[in-house]
Amino acid sequence: MVQAKLILDELKRQRVTHVVGVPDNGSRALFEQLFADPDLDLILVSREGEAFGMAAGLWVGGAHPLVLIQNTGFLEAGDAFRGTVYNMAIPLVMLIGYRGYKTLQPGAPRVDTAASFFEPTLKAWDIPYTLLFDDKDLPQISAAFAKVAATSMPAAVVLVEETT
Amino acid sequence: MLDKYTCLEKLAARRGDELVVTTMSVSVPWSRLSDGPGDFAAVDSAMGHAAAFAHGLALAQPRRRVIALSGDGSTLMGLGTLVNLAQRPAPNLTLVIVENGTYEVTGSQPVPGAGLIDYAAIARGAGIKSAHTIETEAQFEELLPLHFSGPGPVVLVWKIAQGSEGVPKFAASVRDRGRRMRQALTG
Repeated sequence: MVQAKLILDELKRQRVTHVVGVPDNGSRALFEQLFADPDLDLILVSREGEAFGMAAGLWVGGAHPLVLIQNTGFLEAGDAFRGTVYNMAIPLVMLIGYRGYKTLQPGAPRVDTAASFFEPTLKAWDIPYTLLFDDKDLPQISAAFAKVAATSMPAAVVLVEETT
Repeated sequence: MLDKYTCLEKLAARRGDELVVTTMSVSVPWSRLSDGPGDFAAVDSAMGHAAAFAHGLALAQPRRRVIALSGDGSTLMGLGTLVNLAQRPAPNLTLVIVENGTYEVTGSQPVPGAGLIDYAAIARGAGIKSAHTIETEAQFEELLPLHFSGPGPVVLVWKIAQGSEGVPKFAASVRDRGRRMRQALTG
């Protein structure tokens, strides 16, 4: 598990201005705190692709956005990601929930294709990423911000476990 | 039916320091009228996301009016954006839906629901209070000021005649066009 508060503290340290996304089960605690937090501007979108268009507009306008979605929505957002933040080379950090990770483990009764497609798609779309399992992995977030600042390309931190 | 080029010329003639976002069959005609740091052509991009881009831009730049010139095909691809505009209003945003009933740049195939859809009604149903359809030049003249002022989001639907613009191409990449606008806005 990873504490939502610690993630939000890091986002504030990184001077994130807007969090754009769609809630899911794994990020429920994160969204609950975002709704209540006056220091981070949470913008809900109807579908995950819109998050990338909006994040691109926010960045061009001088803001410092972050996208928060689940792997299912990430897969849906493919062309939106490609045509906006990727083609525009926007230094965007994405926090992406890893629904179905446990179904990839040996002995799992079934495989969630949202999980089996996820990492190969991240690689195919040229997105560097790390897997964040618990609080000790939190430095990955600052590392992701450093990476996008250096490369001016998007990067992802994958939230494997639920936030609490 | 309105003439797209006449409408764009009138918009350009009145335009001051507003930021203008265009896409698809409007982008090249607009660029002939204005192609400076305050203009962003969302082409070589992802269809259907110009309105979301403009929404983000408007939220990041609350002191600047943002005018998005989108199309009906693009709007259909991101109908949820209308809901997003209503639930997180940007008072400085105008969304123009240039409705010709076709995917003009791919050969003018009909968009789904061509002739059946009332985009202004959809926008109002999504929660956007100021949404209007413009079909005649007289209506256009009457509502031209609304493109530039008034509490947004404002949605204006231009009912235009079918055209024959080709696939839009720009010399500068979408990366460079985005950075040009960002540089102008952030210094």
